[in-house]
Amino acid sequence: MNRIVPRDVASDGGTTPATSDIVLEIEGLQTEFRSPSGIIRAVDGVSYNVRRGETLCVVGESGCGKSVTALSVLRLITSPPGRIAGGQIRFEGSDLLAMSEAEMERIRGNEISMIFQEPMTSLNPLYTIGRQVSEAIALHQGLSRREAMDRAVAMLQRVAIPDAASRAGSYPHQLSGGMRQRVMIAMALSCHPKVLIADEPTTALDVTIQAQILDLIREQRETLGTAVVLITHDMGVVAETADRVVVMYAGRKVEEANVADLFERPAHPYTRGLLGSIPDIEGAARHPGRRPRLTEIKGMVPSLAKLPSGCSFAPRCGLATAACQEVAPPLVQHRPGHWAACWRAEQVLAGIAA
Amino acid sequence: MSEATPLVEVRDLQKHFPVRRGLFGAGSGQVHAVDGISFTIAAGETLGLVGESGCGKSTAGRTLLRLVQPSQGEIRFRGDDITSLDGPAMLPYRRSMQMIQQDPYASLNPRMTAGEIVEEPLVIHRIGGRTERRERVAQLFERVGLRPEQRLAYPHEFSGGQRQRIGIARALALSPALIVCDEPVSALDVSIQAQIINLLTDLQEELGLSYLFVAHDLAVVEHISHRVAVMYLGRIVELTDRRSLFETPLHPYTEALLSAVPIAKVSARGRKRVVLSGDVPSPVNRPSGCHFHTRCPYVHARCRSEAPALHAVREGHLVACHLHEAGPTLPLARPN
Ligand SMILES: Nc1ncnc2c1ncn2[C@@H]1O[C@H](COP(=O)(O)OP(=O)(O)O)[C@@H](O)[C@H]1O
Ligand SMILES: Nc1ncnc2c1ncn2[C@@H]1O[C@H](COP(=O)(O)OP(=O)(O)O)[C@@H](O)[C@H]1O
Ligand code: SF4
Ligand code: SF4
Ligand SMILES: [Mg+2]
Ligand SMILES: [Mg+2]
Repeated sequence: MNRIVPRDVASDGGTTPATSDIVLEIEGLQTEFRSPSGIIRAVDGVSYNVRRGETLCVVGESGCGKSVTALSVLRLITSPPGRIAGGQIRFEGSDLLAMSEAEMERIRGNEISMIFQEPMTSLNPLYTIGRQVSEAIALHQGLSRREAMDRAVAMLQRVAIPDAASRAGSYPHQLSGGMRQRVMIAMALSCHPKVLIADEPTTALDVTIQAQILDLIREQRETLGTAVVLITHDMGVVAETADRVVVMYAGRKVEEANVADLFERPAHPYTRGLLGSIPDIEGAARHPGRRPRLTEIKGMVPSLAKLPSGCSFAPRCGLATAACQEVAPPLVQHRPGHWAACWRAEQVLAGIAA
Repeated sequence: MSEATPLVEVRDLQKHFPVRRGLFGAGSGQVHAVDGISFTIAAGETLGLVGESGCGKSTAGRTLLRLVQPSQGEIRFRGDDITSLDGPAMLPYRRSMQMIQQDPYASLNPRMTAGEIVEEPLVIHRIGGRTERRERVAQLFERVGLRPEQRLAYPHEFSGGQRQRIGIARALALSPALIVCDEPVSALDVSIQAQIINLLTDLQEELGLSYLFVAHDLAVVEHISHRVAVMYLGRIVELTDRRSLFETPLHPYTEALLSAVPIAKVSARGRKRVVLSGDVPSPVNRPSGCHFHTRCPYVHARCRSEAPALHAVREGHLVACHLHEAGPTLPLARPN
């Protein structure tokens, strides 16, 4: 196949001085699944890193590989059918893929915590939430049962569970969705992880509860310097929480930039299309009468089992040329810290390509 | 129908469901899913219905269509009272009132082809012969952006966005006047959301359709609606045109909702927001007085005992909050 594997080794491009602050670094990750229709390259050469106290947002449409990348970090890909086929994942410099399962167990939940979209999948329905949070604490910090329970209640208080001491005796099903997500966060944060990976933590929640949860995560990052990887498909959440952003499409990273550059000067046609398809909530003022049409990205995401040759976005891209269909564009740094995998990125950036 | 008669007129609509014993604590009770709401929808108009999950949006839509029987209140369609019409008498109205569901996966019969799904309402209502029906289906497929040969495919062979197109084609089959759209784009990726929103807007312009557009995404509702009703715990707390709602929200809950919506612009970062504490109370044990008083930043003594009525504080702007009793009062502040 005529494919160039993107090489974006130091994804900060050496422009940001604090490389030593990098806590988690994914490099050239390849994760694949065996399926009846062949090998599915769910994650195909993805690299990103996150620094202490930073929020990195990972965005993209469903099925583009956001969760599989995150699960690969914690080595939670079930095999078979899944397999990490290549790349490196470094936590504070050491390669997680080379660690023993016992070492990995120490990392999970202690150094790197993850919260998922549906908290019920990660809470045990048979135990009270107090017991689950306190066991997580006791397991990782060697506290007595009593001390751990006290800390669990304090933790539940911190995540704004009303009446935490008595709520600790509740079972997961007795709580609302927002409350369960707060318990998950309490568990995830109870050991002061250095990295928090939050996979669509608020997608199932109402906006007022979402605002509470995002505030909690922000506070954790600010007070303890936790590095946050926030996976979302909501560009509003990205604009309001990210320091840097990685955009994924069909298993690859197609753009990376700091948040202001990404929103104000996107370099990839896919990113530009995504931003155009969002209704503008402040539009009522500017267009009191008839609404302007939303920009559409035509067609749909290709199946990973039969990706087009060349640029995966070509069938949907208004700027595609014959060259795009032949050779996949490499990820190139177009501006300091601003990377894009598109043959026409310079024209997009210059506003020449319409 | 005269100029002044709205297409739909709903007055004091209520729907209570009995609660199973023990589910919400001791004894039996009632879920006041929809608790006395009133609104109108004009021909060619979109009324948006927003609010957090469980506030009664879907029940309102389903009750309006008489898919569930209202506990109380009145529903008028083109001026006719349809609140308690029985099967045959209701039939002609059913043709004019259709629904598009949130989950295109769950709402389509997996054993029927896409063509059969779209044709089915025509068969049920005995409209046209076989050939005419097929032509109509072909026309509908083209209109919603499906390819003709896709008639023969089954729902599982379609993507989420395409399934929603099938749902829209089916809803259009009987040339309705009103479509209740219940979270029609909530399950779709943004790029596909935009396709469906544009399609719904185009169809409205071409066919003069009215929509009741139910969603929890305020940006989507703001984009598509002419007027918007905000619901909280079964009641409408604010109802006005979209511009007033988004520029000068008067109800504290609307203000909080709007400020909680993340805006996809870097310039919106760090803006002042009202973050509500706590959760929406249970619709079985609703707070006394104003339902919102347990979370309202401007709560005062009166709110706990007396429920504010939805009233017009100025032309076309209805609010249910004690703060605006003597006309719109901004900025919102607790009375002293
Ligand atoms: N257990 C699995 N078996 C087979 N394929 C999988 C499995 N998990 C994920 N995939 C594939 O990996 C791709 C990426 O999935 P995921 O990372 O979950 O996407 P998202 O970006 O929505 O989080 C999907 O298209 C899916 O087909
Ligand atoms: N068939 C039913 N039986 C009992 N309770 C119901 C039923 N349908 C809805 N409810 C309850 O009514 C309330 C409103 O639900 P719903 O209309 O679905 O809200 P929304 O669409 O705004 O999320 C919820 O508390 C819900 O649990
Ligand atoms: S490489 Fe070509 S097809 Fe791909 S995004 Fe760029 S312009 Fe579009
Ligand atoms: S009536 Fe009182 S509690 Fe209710 S919204 Fe108004 S100020 Fe808040
Ligand atoms: Mg995912
Ligand atoms: Mg609903």
